[in-house]
Amino acid sequence: MVEGNSGKEGVNKGITRRRFTLGVLIASLAGAFGSLLTMLKVLAPEKKGAGYATTIQPGDVLVYAQGNSAGASIMASAMKAGDAVLAYPSGKTSNPANLVQLIKLDEKAFKPPTDVALTDQGFVAYSAICTHLGCTVSWAANAASPDASFTECRCHNSIFNPAEGAKVVGGPAPIPLSQIGVKVRQDGMLAFTSDFNGPIGPQV
Amino acid sequence: MSMIFKWLDERLELKKFKEKFLSKTFPTHPTFLLGETALFSFITLAATGIFLGFLYEPSTRMVSLFGAMVPAAYASVVRIDLLPMGLIVRRIHHWSAMIMIAAILAHLLRVYFTSSYRKPREINWLVGLSLWGMAMIAAFTGYLLPYSQFSVTATSIAYYMAKSMPWIGDWAARLLFAGDFPSEGTVPRFFFMHVMLIPGTLIGLISLHMLILIKQKHTEPRTNRERKEAQGGRRLIGIPIWPEQAVISLSYFLFLLFVTVLMASYIPLNPIETYGPPSPGTPVMRPDWYFLVVYGFLKLVPGDLVFTLLGGKITPETIGGVIFPALNFLAYALVPFFDGAKDPQHYMENPLHRPFMTSLGVGAIIFLCMMAVAGYIDVLHITPKAMTAYALVTTAAAWGISYVLLRWYNRKRGL
Repeated sequence: MVEGNSGKEGVNKGITRRRFTLGVLIASLAGAFGSLLTMLKVLAPEKKGAGYATTIQPGDVLVYAQGNSAGASIMASAMKAGDAVLAYPSGKTSNPANLVQLIKLDEKAFKPPTDVALTDQGFVAYSAICTHLGCTVSWAANAASPDASFTECRCHNSIFNPAEGAKVVGGPAPIPLSQIGVKVRQDGMLAFTSDFNGPIGPQV
Repeated sequence: MSMIFKWLDERLELKKFKEKFLSKTFPTHPTFLLGETALFSFITLAATGIFLGFLYEPSTRMVSLFGAMVPAAYASVVRIDLLPMGLIVRRIHHWSAMIMIAAILAHLLRVYFTSSYRKPREINWLVGLSLWGMAMIAAFTGYLLPYSQFSVTATSIAYYMAKSMPWIGDWAARLLFAGDFPSEGTVPRFFFMHVMLIPGTLIGLISLHMLILIKQKHTEPRTNRERKEAQGGRRLIGIPIWPEQAVISLSYFLFLLFVTVLMASYIPLNPIETYGPPSPGTPVMRPDWYFLVVYGFLKLVPGDLVFTLLGGKITPETIGGVIFPALNFLAYALVPFFDGAKDPQHYMENPLHRPFMTSLGVGAIIFLCMMAVAGYIDVLHITPKAMTAYALVTTAAAWGISYVLLRWYNRKRGL
């Protein structure tokens, strides 16, 4: 029989049979689990697009996003100062990145950094996706003073001032909502005139 | 009956099992029912979950429901609600989840305030914390399944919270949500996690929790010490598992079930038909109470708090949704190591006799309550800044006042 090193004697002689076996076992286990880690890559599907990607084109007509008239074109005459609605570009309602909040204010109410060139007859539109955690923003109407109405995200109470380029005036949102150009067409419908002037969606 | 018992005993040695295991002494204290409440709620959850699992469809394909096109998951839950007993089973499931988390928290507080986490029970404290975390994740993955407007909004918020993790956020969010959210992969993945992965982990952790408990035994009420000394030093005072403890536990389980069914019958919750299927607008909504702390804290983080740390982007979402919950759990995990003991402790402490740890606990409770209140700043008309100040002041006051009072009380006792 071959003389083997017993654990204790072997300490002085360098590697023992027991330590060698243990080492091989640990290395094998580490290898096995390490190769399992590559599975995590498979389990996380590749990105399809880069976050919110809008498909709005200049010229697209704005339609109601919700309510009884969802899908119907928004007429300029249907809104008075202090009103706001959620709107989609016509025919592109399945992409949440296309959701905008269309607001009508007094024409003289706009202050910088609002891009007045992107507004028309007091109509202004901003991305409706809160820059905090992606909820859809709502409209906090002020009946007494329509121009003091503001945009609020009901999830964590971020507040945006639509008369000042949707500047963050309260709450945890890190950046303003991006503005997008709108104009009133000859037939009284509203249409987009540009792309968003900044990033949309949560800034994470 | 005796014939069956004899037949089984000859094969499984039931008598031996009874002598060795079922005769084990079980110390009694009313607060020991808190942990049992959590355990029994979990059993109710599993039972009702099996019923719901037969009827639920984990898919977002669009189907017709009363003439409207809605996601199949939403339609299947509406159909469950319309079944005889369907709605009540769904409500029992949801109520049990709330009761389970409430019981875990109450149990945790009991262990904390009686200092039962000290040596040798540090490991079980950590296992208990993981159980709490797992129960919250179980509840959270359950949120999405009905695929109502509420579900989608809540899950979307969590998706961006996961995404806001520095360095790994983008990948971690795609791993957990099976791609971007909303996409068709998320509901099947959450369904699998909710009915398989998480309950499996919970069962494993519960078993570990119980095994360690059986090995280490309960901490006993202080009064047992004097009784033991009078009786000549028995190791534990209590009642055997079979039949006394078993009868108490079974009666308690049935009572708990009665309360749960009563609540499910009369107190509606998560009315998905009111929320409706996913739509563009976000309604006013708040998460279930156990998420209010994180929800409230998210509202308080100022929006301009954005910076880069070692190449990782830290945003208000990161601070509120990742760092804050992680720091909370870390603080709780450190408790038994911060307030350790050199020798094994086997008796519950009177919280009034431990001013420092008790006042720390009181401060923490007030802080967490204030964070939950912060979830309501919109209806209370408080600005985030003012709310932050209120929270800090009340927390400091609760901590300080309780500490001073307890010190004064102990000085009067002569300690």
